[in-house]
Amino acid sequence: MKRTIAAVAALAAASLALTACGGGSDSDSSSGSSGGPTTITVSGWSLSTTPEFQKLADAFSAKYPDYKVQVKEYDATNYNTLLTADLAAGKGPDVITQKEVKYLPTFVKGGQLADVSDLKAPDGIGGTDSYKVDGKTYALPYRMDSWVMFYNKDLFDKAGVTYPDGSWTWDDYVANLQKLKAGLPKGAYAAYLHNWQSTVQGLANAQSGADILKGDFSHLKEPYERTVGLQKDGLQVDFNTEKANQLTYQAEFGKQHAATMLMGSWYVATLISQQASGEADKFNWGFAPVPQMDSSTAGTSNTPVTFGDPTGFAVNAHADGAKKDAAEKFLQFASSEEAANMLAGIGITPALINDAVINTYFAVPGAPTDDLSKFAWATHKTLPENPTSDKTAAVQGILGDLHTAIMSGSKSPDDAIDEAEDRFKNEVG
Amino acid sequence: MSFILPNFLGFGLLTLVPVVTLFYMSLTNWNVFGTSQWVGLDNFKRLVHDRSFHTAVTNTFYYSAMHIPLTLVVSLSLALLLNTKLRGVAFFRTAAFFPYITSIVAIAMVWNIMFSPDAGPINALLRFVGVDHPPGWLTSTHWAMPAVAIVSTWRDMGYYMILFLAGLQTVPRELYEAARIDGASAWQRFRNVTLPGLRPTTFFITVILTINSFKIFDLILVLTHGGPGQSTTVISQFIYTKGFTESQFGYASAASVVLFALCLLVTLVVFLINKRRDA
Repeated sequence: MKRTIAAVAALAAASLALTACGGGSDSDSSSGSSGGPTTITVSGWSLSTTPEFQKLADAFSAKYPDYKVQVKEYDATNYNTLLTADLAAGKGPDVITQKEVKYLPTFVKGGQLADVSDLKAPDGIGGTDSYKVDGKTYALPYRMDSWVMFYNKDLFDKAGVTYPDGSWTWDDYVANLQKLKAGLPKGAYAAYLHNWQSTVQGLANAQSGADILKGDFSHLKEPYERTVGLQKDGLQVDFNTEKANQLTYQAEFGKQHAATMLMGSWYVATLISQQASGEADKFNWGFAPVPQMDSSTAGTSNTPVTFGDPTGFAVNAHADGAKKDAAEKFLQFASSEEAANMLAGIGITPALINDAVINTYFAVPGAPTDDLSKFAWATHKTLPENPTSDKTAAVQGILGDLHTAIMSGSKSPDDAIDEAEDRFKNEVG
Repeated sequence: MSFILPNFLGFGLLTLVPVVTLFYMSLTNWNVFGTSQWVGLDNFKRLVHDRSFHTAVTNTFYYSAMHIPLTLVVSLSLALLLNTKLRGVAFFRTAAFFPYITSIVAIAMVWNIMFSPDAGPINALLRFVGVDHPPGWLTSTHWAMPAVAIVSTWRDMGYYMILFLAGLQTVPRELYEAARIDGASAWQRFRNVTLPGLRPTTFFITVILTINSFKIFDLILVLTHGGPGQSTTVISQFIYTKGFTESQFGYASAASVVLFALCLLVTLVVFLINKRRDA
């Protein structure tokens, strides 16, 4: 019995020691300066449907023959969990792709990301602020989707409603949805709103300029009252039906069940490919800026406010020597105009947008060609869905509960907001 | 010692060490990246004041209070029914076991549609029998938890039925014959022969069922994800959110320790009750 206890104690001690010292980077023979190319690894996900990683890797290696880039694939839904486990074990990639901004503070706090404040991002690139923690930069963006309003031109024609002109405020939005409802054929709704909390909160946070980390959520009242009203009036599918039937936004808009849809610009590439493959119906479509709070930001002579988070690359804090150099070069390359053009060519919205990039993007066969779509894609003030902070994940959790409580009809916006504010004080405060 | 070593090594590495580590972690502010600091009982103090944790504990008890008795009654009734020598008993025994071996994701999808407040078959049936305002089930903060308990009972009943069936085979036949000769009714035979004869089985099932109810997680995650609002958030989900979404592994570990203590406590209570009855 004594021996058993001793064995258990030894095992426990060994495992603690293992977890405690798992901080070093995996050293590979290729990091030496012995003449061969230096190989760095970059984390990615769903490589078959997300071609950007391999494209960037290949283009980078072609430009810098001294470096080789290997893309390390992770499961998309468990990306941050798996990546965290690898980093904690010291087996992380040299370039760490930041899939969601909210995890960046944890990585920074855990000492996993190198300070890249010295790297210069090109002028006019969006999303760099999301990667700043305490004044230092920890990643460079290469991709930045922002939210727009997709609309089905054929359904607008059928309903006899004029296309959006970019000047819509939220009041215009509701009024136009009502006109659409009156004229649309049976089976088509005026709008589809997916069940994510960001569909309401992302826009509300960005357009009101509220700081959710202060714990005041009163700016959500009006957007939620409006959204619940749209549901009640039958202008969009009810949240409960959507959940019970597990509707997908791709099918709802792609199969013409809705005339308009607020969605991120990533859907452009999806819709083009689904129309080409026959998964989506063939119809004319375009996209417009999201509706604005008031006329001061609406219209094509102003800059509409929307939201979106960047995707970016960071350097592993444990990468050193040639690997660190290579990783930093990769970051700069991925955010450059050259890379932006290449990304636009495969339907991805780069963080850097200029005229050349716009032309490349809209030259893709199947893309809309109208001026408003181009305006909506290129001109906007995009604020992050959430501020970068170690409190963000907790606040998002609270606001997620608020979203389901209001949208399912279980609580009034007022009650749900009060409860969320109480919880903020109690749990985050 | 040496012949159990391979087995013990596996148990030690995969179960014992993580469990011991968990207790240590619950006393630190570990956030995965090895920068943990000893914080003593701070995590537990925070739990005491965390209202979301209170909600999670209350919801867990609420769920258990519905799920445990309901499952006991349903699975025992099924076992009694399928313990007779009717034709096709083997088929019905198998059928009752099906839900238990069905994928949980498939279960959630189908029940989600069945519970759909406007178009679902359950509410259609309720309206047909004259209920004017049937409940919103998974979309209502009041009805979501009962709905989860119903699905969960439906899923588990076959498994516990098998355990009860096995228990029923151990009740001596002579006792039934003696009771019948003494003129005992069917209810009296059940009350005075079957139930006492099943006590070891019932004890075992109650313990397992309680622990399983307390750590309910997968079904809720796919069925409601804790919503609407926090109406179906349970302790396991609280642990999952704090750990894997918010990277507060120390705090999540403390909540796990509380869950462990709750399971232990309930098991002890059931154990004591059983012992007193035996005496």
